[in-house]
Amino acid sequence: MTDSRPDPIRVAAVGDVHLADDLRGRYAPLLAGISAEADALLVAGDLTQHGTLEEAEAFADEFGVADVPVLVVLGNHDYHSGAESDITRLLEDRGMTVLEGTSTTIDTDAGRLGVAGVKGFCLGFLGRSAADFGEPQMKAFTSHGIETADVLRKALDDLGDEPDVTVALSHFAPVDETLVGEPKEIWPFLGNYRLGEAIDETGVDLALHGHAHAGREKGLTPAGVPVRNVAQPVIQAAFRVYDVVPRRPA
Amino acid sequence: MNEQLARDLERDIATDPRTNELGIRVQVRGDHLVISGEVASEERRATVIEVVREHDTGLEIVDHIMLSAEPGPGGTGHEQIDPSQRR
Repeated sequence: MTDSRPDPIRVAAVGDVHLADDLRGRYAPLLAGISAEADALLVAGDLTQHGTLEEAEAFADEFGVADVPVLVVLGNHDYHSGAESDITRLLEDRGMTVLEGTSTTIDTDAGRLGVAGVKGFCLGFLGRSAADFGEPQMKAFTSHGIETADVLRKALDDLGDEPDVTVALSHFAPVDETLVGEPKEIWPFLGNYRLGEAIDETGVDLALHGHAHAGREKGLTPAGVPVRNVAQPVIQAAFRVYDVVPRRPA
Repeated sequence: MNEQLARDLERDIATDPRTNELGIRVQVRGDHLVISGEVASEERRATVIEVVREHDTGLEIVDHIMLSAEPGPGGTGHEQIDPSQRR
């Protein structure tokens, strides 16, 4: 029996590569010719170790050899030196797309891939999350977590029905299932259930995140959207590839 | 007291600009200070130990830090995601 399903869009992903000069040469040889394996390469934040421009240059040199579109979100490490705007400019000058509450679509041989991205932020998970209550500092912490989910939802809404496959890319985790292996005490600092709600409300086919180095790769949102933690220490490879089958008929 | 020392060292390893390693754990075991977790390179491992040594703890440092595996080639064993099969 022939498979009547449409050809999949091949999405390569990795996160948490924490590039600096000492890791130069680790990724470039593995990313050259990636178009034989994948239609796009998504990077789930923590591109650098300390968020310096020098480290971003190392990332751009290593990942710039990929011969497919490279789409990234920044992670908390990339904000550490206050150079996130300069890092974004540098990566975009090198032809990469940096998503932060924004989305884009790419034409592939198998159809249109839509990607919405956001760094995300802490908050926690249902029943064990920060509450928008009390001191101004607590409210600021909580409302920032909520706001990042709202901007992800808007970025996903902006994609509409146009893509054949829709991927949500974040640094912080949208579910807690992929955090298993991390100490439970720090889960509220690793992810944010509101990101998962945004994903469930907007027709996402696959959600990718990083940040949880000791977590596990596979999880699901409450509505059943596959979530993959692609932090490099978790996948132990230069990238994973997810072949996502478009919903439209072949 | 030992617990406090371990947490202080973990905080310093996380916040010292030379390291900024958030995944390092420190435990006091008798006369030993056990440093564990994972870093991406030999150089980063040496810097973590250097930061620990700067604290005069009087304990013997035991380096149990693992180096992250060098990334293997990606692409092997593509996982298929078929949204039409979702329950």
